[in-house]
Amino acid sequence: MSGILELGIMLFHVMVVIIILFLVPIPFTWMERKVAGHIQQRLGPMRVGWHGVLQPLADGIKLLTKEDIIPDRADRLLFKIAPIISLVPPFAVFVAVPFADNLLLSDMNIGLLYILAVAGLGIYGVIFGGWASNSKYSLLGSIRSCAQLISYEIPMGFAVIGVMMLSQSMNLSDIVNAQADTWNIVYQPLGFFVFFIAGLAEAQRVPFDLAEAEGDLGAGYHTEYSGMRFSYFMISEYLVMLTISVLCVILFFGGWHGFLLPLPPLLWFTLKVGFFVYLFMWIRFTFPRYRYDQLMSIGWKVLFPLSLANILVTGFFIV
Amino acid sequence: MNQTEATNKPHASANSTPVEKSDSGQGWIGWVFFSDLFAGLRLTFKYMFAKHITMQYPDIEKWQPYSRFRGHHFLLKDEQGDIKCVACELCAKICPSQCIEVIPYEDENGDRHPEVFDIDMGRCLYCGLCEDACPVDAIAMGSHFEFSTYSSKDLLVNKATLLAMPGKTEKGGVVIPASFNSDETVTVTAKNEKGYHWWDAIHR
Repeated sequence: MSGILELGIMLFHVMVVIIILFLVPIPFTWMERKVAGHIQQRLGPMRVGWHGVLQPLADGIKLLTKEDIIPDRADRLLFKIAPIISLVPPFAVFVAVPFADNLLLSDMNIGLLYILAVAGLGIYGVIFGGWASNSKYSLLGSIRSCAQLISYEIPMGFAVIGVMMLSQSMNLSDIVNAQADTWNIVYQPLGFFVFFIAGLAEAQRVPFDLAEAEGDLGAGYHTEYSGMRFSYFMISEYLVMLTISVLCVILFFGGWHGFLLPLPPLLWFTLKVGFFVYLFMWIRFTFPRYRYDQLMSIGWKVLFPLSLANILVTGFFIV
Repeated sequence: MNQTEATNKPHASANSTPVEKSDSGQGWIGWVFFSDLFAGLRLTFKYMFAKHITMQYPDIEKWQPYSRFRGHHFLLKDEQGDIKCVACELCAKICPSQCIEVIPYEDENGDRHPEVFDIDMGRCLYCGLCEDACPVDAIAMGSHFEFSTYSSKDLLVNKATLLAMPGKTEKGGVVIPASFNSDETVTVTAKNEKGYHWWDAIHR
C-alpha cells in the first residue's frame, strides 16, 4: 500500500515538473522577442496583453489551429515521431536537476553523467526530422547539427571533469554543496569558458546556429514542419537552452547558494538561471554566425585542447 | 585614419571612444580575453536601454504630417460659410489622371459654384497640381491619409465629403497621442496637438 502511495507522490512530482517545463518556453519566447526588440531599438510585441505578455499564448493558439502538413514523399512515421523524440530528452534531463536543497526528483550518484548522456539523445530527433522530411535543406541542416553536437559534446564532457575532480563526486547535490563557500567559477574559469561555448553550440544558439542558418538552409531540420510539430521542436530548443543555463549555474555558479542577499535558495537558483538565459539571448542579438569550417576548427582545435589543459592543470593543483 | 573612422559612425557617442580603440589596436592580451566580443556585447547592452524608435501607431500614437504633406483633398469655405470654389474647372483640366469632375451651376446672385465636385481618390496620384491651379485657393490637399477601404467605390468622394475633410496641419512632424477604434479608424486623443518631435526624441 505504501509502495503505491510513494509511486503516486512520485508521479505527482513528475507531473508538476513536466507542467512547469511545458510552461517555461512561454515566458522565454516573450523574453527573447523583447530582448531582440530592445537591442535593435524596437519595442517587440506590444499589442497582446501588458507589453505583449500574452503574445506567446496567441502564437500557441495560432500554431495549434494551423494545418499539419506532411510532405508527399516524407517518411510519415519518422516524420511524425521526430518532434516527440526531440522533446523527450530535455524533459528527462530535469529528473536529476537539484533546484534547491532536497528539491529534486531523483538524487542520483551519477547525475552529471546521466544529464550529459540523456541530453545527447536529443540529437536523434534532429536526425530523424531532417531525414524524414526528404528535403535537401532539412537533411543538410540535420547533418550539420549532428556533426556540431557530436564535436561539441566532447569538450563539454571534458570541461565538466574539472568540476568533478574538485568536488570528488558526480552527484549534482554534492557538487553544489561543495561550492557553499567558493563557487567553482573561481577555480575553473577555463572550464566554465569551454563549457559555456560548447553549451552555446549544444543549444544551437547564435553564433553556432548553423543548423538553422536561414540564409543558406531555409530553417534547417525543421524546414518542412508546421503547426504543433514545429512548436515541439521549438519547445525542445528552449528547454535545451534552459538545461545548459541550469548546468552552468549548478556546476560553476554555486547552484542555489546565494551571496550577500539572504534570498530563498529556489529564488537564487531561478535568478541565476534567468541571467544565463538572458546571456544566451544577449549573445544571439550581438554576434553574427560562424562559418561551418570555423565552427569545426573552434570545436576541435581550440575548445578540445583547452578542456584537456584544464583537466591537466586541475589535476596538478589537486595532487 | 582614426579621424575618418570616428566620423563615419553617426551613432558613436562621446564615451564610446575607448571601445573603438580596443577594436583597432587590441594587443594579444585583448585577443586572448576577447576584448572585441565584449565591446560588441557592451554596445548591444547600451542599445538595450536606449530610446526606442518604434512609433506605436495606431494603438497609442499617430504621426502628424507636415503642412506640406499632400493627403486627402479638401474644399474650403469663405467667411460667409459658402463654398469658395467658383467651378472654373481648372483643377479638372490640369489633373494628369483626370480624376476630378466638376459640374457648375449659377446661384440667385449670379455666382458660379459647383453643383457636383467628385474626385476619384483611387485614380488620384497626389501631385497637388489642382491645388496649384486653383485661382481662388478653394481646393487643397490636407493632412488626412487614413482612407483605405475594402471597396474602390468608397474612394469616389463627393462635394459634401470634401467639405468635411480636415485641413492642413499647423505644425507637423510630431507624434501625438491617438487611439485605435474597433471600426478600424484612429482617433486623436490629444488635447493640444503638440506631441513630441519624432526625430529629436531618438537623435543622440
